[in-house]
Amino acid sequence: MALANRLAGNASADTAIEITQGGAEFEFRQASAFAIAGASGKLSLSGKTIVAHRTHFARQGDILSIGHPDTGFRTYLAVPGGFVADEFLGSSSTCLPAGFGGLEGRALRPGDELEFDAAMEPAASLETPANLRPFMTASHVLRCVPGPDYAALDDAVWSDVFEATRRLDRTGIEIRGPWPHLADGALKPSAAVFPGAIQLTPSGNAFVLMPDAQTTGGYPHVLQVIRADRHLLGQVAPGDRIRFLRRTSEQAHNDLVAKTAIFADWLPGFRF
Amino acid sequence: MTVPDIRMVGDDALSIEVDDPRHRNVLAEHLRHSGRWTDVVPGRRNLTVGFDPLAVSPAQAHAVLAGALEHAPPGTQSASEEIELALRVDPESGPDLARVADENGLSPEAFLRRVCASPLAVDMMGFMPGFAYLSGLDPVLRAERLALPRQRVAAGSVGVLTGQLGLYALAGPGGWPIIGRIQEPLFDKVAASPFLLKAGMKVRLRVLGSSS
Repeated sequence: MALANRLAGNASADTAIEITQGGAEFEFRQASAFAIAGASGKLSLSGKTIVAHRTHFARQGDILSIGHPDTGFRTYLAVPGGFVADEFLGSSSTCLPAGFGGLEGRALRPGDELEFDAAMEPAASLETPANLRPFMTASHVLRCVPGPDYAALDDAVWSDVFEATRRLDRTGIEIRGPWPHLADGALKPSAAVFPGAIQLTPSGNAFVLMPDAQTTGGYPHVLQVIRADRHLLGQVAPGDRIRFLRRTSEQAHNDLVAKTAIFADWLPGFRF
Repeated sequence: MTVPDIRMVGDDALSIEVDDPRHRNVLAEHLRHSGRWTDVVPGRRNLTVGFDPLAVSPAQAHAVLAGALEHAPPGTQSASEEIELALRVDPESGPDLARVADENGLSPEAFLRRVCASPLAVDMMGFMPGFAYLSGLDPVLRAERLALPRQRVAAGSVGVLTGQLGLYALAGPGGWPIIGRIQEPLFDKVAASPFLLKAGMKVRLRVLGSSS
């Protein structure tokens, strides 16, 4: 989303549209610049193929068509100045479980009209530098530190291969694989959990928490995806393969400093 | 005060054990006011703070928290407000009531009588926006989390686990067995204070359509 906003001349957190698994069409009621980043299937503007990671200019009446991505899961559409959206608790993000933000707190539907200031223009036509374009893959390596309840696992977790199931949304992703069976009484007094927390459930599968997740939970918190890699979770699609790479908290700190530095010139002030 | 053990939660949070819920709430306020933490989240027996790992390393965050705990106020807050809420218990509102009551060897009516007679109080808010953890449930009543959490429970749903109730202010995913639904809205988006319940409140439940 930050990359799409950058191409539209916006700040990283300006209101953009997140499109899950493609399959969306937008009609421009007014001429405007726009940009697309994230997972990209076939993109076209009134029938003409266009590419992601570049500032584009639509005429009044142009139809933007966003196809289903082969790899990756979420595509981002940004316009100059950002879309007009509801704000709640300081954010315009749509929180579906709570019905906050965005357009009436719900997913967009055919026929919705979205407002933005079409008179605004980005300062220049831009292209995302090639080395900053996220690599879309169906096989993910997530760097993790052991969680507070890591004792429920054994070290095989660092070599086994896991798989994302179809139970997946902005609150969490279910991960299937050779997880150890939970001992009786393994459930804990509820404690704080954050996005990136991986919790083992008695069902035998684990869940990794996403941005709209709960703030506390009682399932054993066995791993934590490091902050530098949490953004990768948004592109995990059902059936994707997942491996975990062990880090210490000091290494995770260094990883974050290093990744932030790589993006610092293009996205000043951006925080993972 | 004695400084409790501090442990790492992942790469950008720290947690301490604090058993006394009243002390936990005072400590949480103290840490929020310090402005040093990105999140301050009280748990059932613990308190977790998030830090910005770009600004401080884990070791520095640990030192800052240890210092803050040494200078924390020793006091506890006292519970104040009391609120009565009406509970709907038809099968759609409380899909797990009959099963959970049966597992306790009780009729649904006898199970609910014990729930309503319990000295309930809001222990903490968390999990989802507006989710209230109520302590004080009659310890005789036993219930476990669902093996597979539901992807969606209705707003107002009342979940039960041994020793506690959980009130879902908003619809969302949940792993607690659901025994009923609160009639009053627990959330009002346009109110100055959008969530009805606050940590420390005492709660009385009344089953709708029942005189007891």
